[in-house]
Amino acid sequence: MEPIISVRGLTKTYKQTTAVNNIDFDVDQGEIFGFLGPNGAGKSTTINMICTMLAPTSGSITINGWNAAKQRGKVRESIGLIFQENTLDEKLTARENLMLHCRFYRVPKSRRAARIREVLEIVDLTDKENQRVDTFSGGMKRRLEIARGLLHYPKVLFLDEPTVGLDPQTRAHLWEYILRLKKKENITMFLTTHYLDEAEISDRVAIMDQGEIIAIDTPDALKRQLGGDIIELSSTDNEAARREVEAAVPEAEITVDDGILRIKVADSDKFVSTILKSLDTPVTSLNIRRPTLNDVFLAFTGRKISEAAED
Amino acid sequence: MEGIYAIWQRDLLKFFRDKARLFGSFTMPILFLLIFGGGLSGTMESMMGSMAGAGEGFNYVEFVFPGIVAMTLLMTSIFSSLSIIEDKDFGYMKEILVSPISRVSIAVGKMLGAATVATIQGIILFLLIPLLGLSYSIVSLLQVLPFMFLFAAALSGLGLLIASLIRSTQGFQMIVQVLVMPMIFLSGALFPINNMPAWMDIIVKLNPVTYGVDVMKKIMIDVDSLSPQVQNAMGLNLDVFGRPVTMIEEILFIAGFAALLVLLATFSFRRANA
Repeated sequence: MEPIISVRGLTKTYKQTTAVNNIDFDVDQGEIFGFLGPNGAGKSTTINMICTMLAPTSGSITINGWNAAKQRGKVRESIGLIFQENTLDEKLTARENLMLHCRFYRVPKSRRAARIREVLEIVDLTDKENQRVDTFSGGMKRRLEIARGLLHYPKVLFLDEPTVGLDPQTRAHLWEYILRLKKKENITMFLTTHYLDEAEISDRVAIMDQGEIIAIDTPDALKRQLGGDIIELSSTDNEAARREVEAAVPEAEITVDDGILRIKVADSDKFVSTILKSLDTPVTSLNIRRPTLNDVFLAFTGRKISEAAED
Repeated sequence: MEGIYAIWQRDLLKFFRDKARLFGSFTMPILFLLIFGGGLSGTMESMMGSMAGAGEGFNYVEFVFPGIVAMTLLMTSIFSSLSIIEDKDFGYMKEILVSPISRVSIAVGKMLGAATVATIQGIILFLLIPLLGLSYSIVSLLQVLPFMFLFAAALSGLGLLIASLIRSTQGFQMIVQVLVMPMIFLSGALFPINNMPAWMDIIVKLNPVTYGVDVMKKIMIDVDSLSPQVQNAMGLNLDVFGRPVTMIEEILFIAGFAALLVLLATFSFRRANA
């Protein structure tokens, strides 16, 4: 199957700096593609180029068979965009917002009413149809934006930090809607988020840093690449504990962070008893876990995403 | 076309929804009518009357009413076009800009929306005609409508051009003070533009609002029934640097001005939002 998005040799340079440096990647039809990276990595620049909002310095982008530089209108009809910030007209009702969108995207007149009903159902806002958007909660506005992004039957839905600024419960709900949507419309999703646990739902993730894509694979494969498990322990004297573990298990990778000793080993079952036996320093807590995308991000960029975000 | 229609329709929906704005926008013209029509009319009439030696024939309220309608068109057109700055601030502009509609359609849709809103405001002012005891003919009021729309479209184009040049709502007040107010006062909308100092006369003749106001007066006021002295006193025989202008020329000038501004606004809009 042809990839729905195909990016080749994409580069964007500003006067002094190269924001995006010769990147290539494909997004397959129907997958959830997580696009991760610290601020300033070139993520937004890349997305803006894919969405035809910014002209690349060089390279090519194909979406749904259309060339993003030459067939802007066709590309724009093929994609739906959910921005970080609210872009609804709050003085209008939900229905009026959706109707305007139908007109902007030339949804055939005969299908508008049915389509509006359909998307409102997906996001559970059917009964709020005729309410003004300024009476909506943050979560409802987000849902309405997702509904709006779907109206014109896009092939790819871009979700740029869709849960930013929402409380955890609303965030969890929103992901339920997004997954429901994927099932129902079999739509491709291009997702960016700062919450890496949310990116776990991706079929594949790409990690971008300093203008380049440094890793691209399924979340599981990326975690496997890290090799093994993580043993986190804290003790009364982390430095002493570190020396003791190093002596007992020379092949372990050890980092100290926030008063926690993070020990990476190939197989936690085999090493945990050895490590515990080797420790004379009293242990105050112990946690053994499989790597998460946070660990993957840390391993590839050398930073945690929360630190990177503060750069 | 659908895109132009959508943008136009949104402006109208919002206009009718925002009751405060709808109501508030009439305070200014009504205030002007009260001050100029009530307070100043006696003075103006005796002044103009004696100057022209025309005696009784000068009805100041009849003179100033089309000017105040024109003023309403000017203010509403400019402010409505400036709503695109608000759209930028509140994020909605992004929804429009990423859609497949062309930049030209966005500019034209906004211009037509602002012009329609302004024309509706002008028409609502017509309701005051019987209250003020004025006697414009129905025919002349119907005849002036298309011109009001054309004039409002030109002014909306101007508003759009300004909106694409200024970045914030703070620039708003400044625009009103340095542009809108002088455009009203130096247009013959509120007092006849006769015997002005030479430098001011130049500004008056360069001000497009002058010609819009003049056309509206010529259509609405029954010019032929007035004596030549009164016509002169009302400043209805407008000449540009010694050459008299006809109404057709003025209408063509406003149409050309509208076309030019749409072009400039579209161009500037594309550059600002590429």
